Amino acid sequence: MSSSSAAQLHVSRRRDAILPAVLLVVFVVLPLLLSSPNINRLLFVTFLWITTSVAWNILGGFTGQVSFGFAVFYGVGAYTAALIINAGVSPYLAFPAAGASAAIVSLMVSLPTFRLRGPYFAIATIGVSEAVRVVMTNVEFTGGASGYRIVEHVPFRQLEHYYTALALAAIAIAVSAYIAQTKFGYGLKAIRQDEDAASAIGVNPYTYKLRAHAVAGALTGMAGGVFARYAAFIHPQGVFGFQTSVSILLMPVIGGIGTVWGPVIGGGVFGIVEEEIVASFPQIHLLLYGCLLIAIVLFEPGGILGGLRKLAGRIRGKRRT
Amino acid sequence: MTFIDFINLLVSALLLAGIYSIMSVGMTVIYGVMKIVNLAHAGFMMLGAYFALEVFQRFHIDPILAALLAFPVMFFIGGALHWILLRRLPHSDEPTLQSLLLMFGLWLVLQNIGYLVWGNTDRSIFTPRTLSVINLGPISISTVRLVVFFVALVCLVLLEVILNYSWFGRAVRALIQNRYAGLIVGVWEDRIAGLTFGLGIGFAGLAGGLLGSLYSFNPDFGRPFLIRAFVIIVLGGLESVTGVAIGALVLALVETFSILFVPAGYQLAISFGLLVVVLIVLPGGIASLLGKARRWA
Repeated sequence: MSSSSAAQLHVSRRRDAILPAVLLVVFVVLPLLLSSPNINRLLFVTFLWITTSVAWNILGGFTGQVSFGFAVFYGVGAYTAALIINAGVSPYLAFPAAGASAAIVSLMVSLPTFRLRGPYFAIATIGVSEAVRVVMTNVEFTGGASGYRIVEHVPFRQLEHYYTALALAAIAIAVSAYIAQTKFGYGLKAIRQDEDAASAIGVNPYTYKLRAHAVAGALTGMAGGVFARYAAFIHPQGVFGFQTSVSILLMPVIGGIGTVWGPVIGGGVFGIVEEEIVASFPQIHLLLYGCLLIAIVLFEPGGILGGLRKLAGRIRGKRRT
Repeated sequence: MTFIDFINLLVSALLLAGIYSIMSVGMTVIYGVMKIVNLAHAGFMMLGAYFALEVFQRFHIDPILAALLAFPVMFFIGGALHWILLRRLPHSDEPTLQSLLLMFGLWLVLQNIGYLVWGNTDRSIFTPRTLSVINLGPISISTVRLVVFFVALVCLVLLEVILNYSWFGRAVRALIQNRYAGLIVGVWEDRIAGLTFGLGIGFAGLAGGLLGSLYSFNPDFGRPFLIRAFVIIVLGGLESVTGVAIGALVLALVETFSILFVPAGYQLAISFGLLVVVLIVLPGGIASLLGKARRWA
């Protein structure tokens, strides 16, 4: 690479960082200006969705391994954080612990299933999430099916939760953007395109997939932990619910799979739209998402981001002529 | 455990294996020919169960017969879906992200149509047969389960005959073994794939109708069975009907006898545990073990 093109790349990277920085500042300042608990809550939930969506995309989008069981990480993170917070430890130690335990669980799923190619991993993830939920509804010390309460002897400050979620989403996006630029990220993309070719050029698909799954699991687990602290009450049907897995899968696909910003858009749209639709049509919303999923897969695999890019390209093309 | 208990458990495991194999065989043929994991299988099973219920309630037709009627209906639905949606997927030798997501979307749609039409209350098919039991000395057998078992067995044998002795079956087996060779000798892939998908969905509907006579169901019906079906397919080595029957038997035996040691609530965890063990120890399934034994002999 010549020095001028390297400098150009540097400039474009710096330019790419402007919009996210502006957005970050906006979301830091926004609650102070609006001071509306409702909007804070909506944004808090949306940040968590964005985190999980970005996390799913690291495995599903970059690496091309579909998982239907991210609720497992979300739930494991939530329960880990809950247990640690209840033991009197600072929540800011509990969140990394939640991520770590989710990463360990991710290895339990991926060590056996990534040994083989084909659909084994995708189906096994459904199996794991079902099995874990069944076990968690029967486990005594976390309250089983009746759920688990988190007791913190400090006053509830919504803004603290808000900024925790914002920071987590920012970290997730940064991790995903960083991975996309490293050798690791290119390795993952190579695996998605052709596993044989990838291993021929020295990428070990097995360990790469394991690492991608662990990173994704850790991020999702932390999101679960942050959620558990906010909700103060968690139960297996909620955090381990199949619904949670479905949502985490839908967002990146809607937004645009395999890109850095697609899942963020998907998470944002989903988080805000979901709140509105679920309230009024609890059944129809999944029907709509199902149809949307089919339509995206068949007609616009790039999701919202891909569609926007095509549109932008068309407009630019018209201007030139 | 007395000897009688043992025989009782063995019989119930055998009966369970029949229904397990009928619900997995549809997924197997679809996977074999199209290399698509039919995640919507549970949704079609749910439709089959509700079909049997509706036919039974409206026309007072025997639910087992209604389950058999579900087969042609679901066959056409499957064929239509293939023509509308699946035809558009690019061909591949292993399941693609696209196909997994498509089938998953289809499952969501079916499930939520179910919720819209039938609501979320649990339903069941209740006939005088439901609670009746045949006693063979100390061994007691549930009549419904016995009937369901025989229906399943007959259908499996029919399928095996079709696959072995018809042009369609030969074409299906050709595509399973080597897609390109099949194309070269003139197999019209699109049509065979459409028929196969219809066949697979038909079997899903049949299995759902039969399961509806055994268990209560709601639109979320079938998810645990989807996992079981996949365990069975992996056990059986993914692509053969005999493999499915063996896999179903193994899973049924493990599940039935595990009740002696593990609470019933953990049954799903057991089938998943079995899946992990098989993936680690025997990735080719039991069929590969048999193949090896044959080579050694």
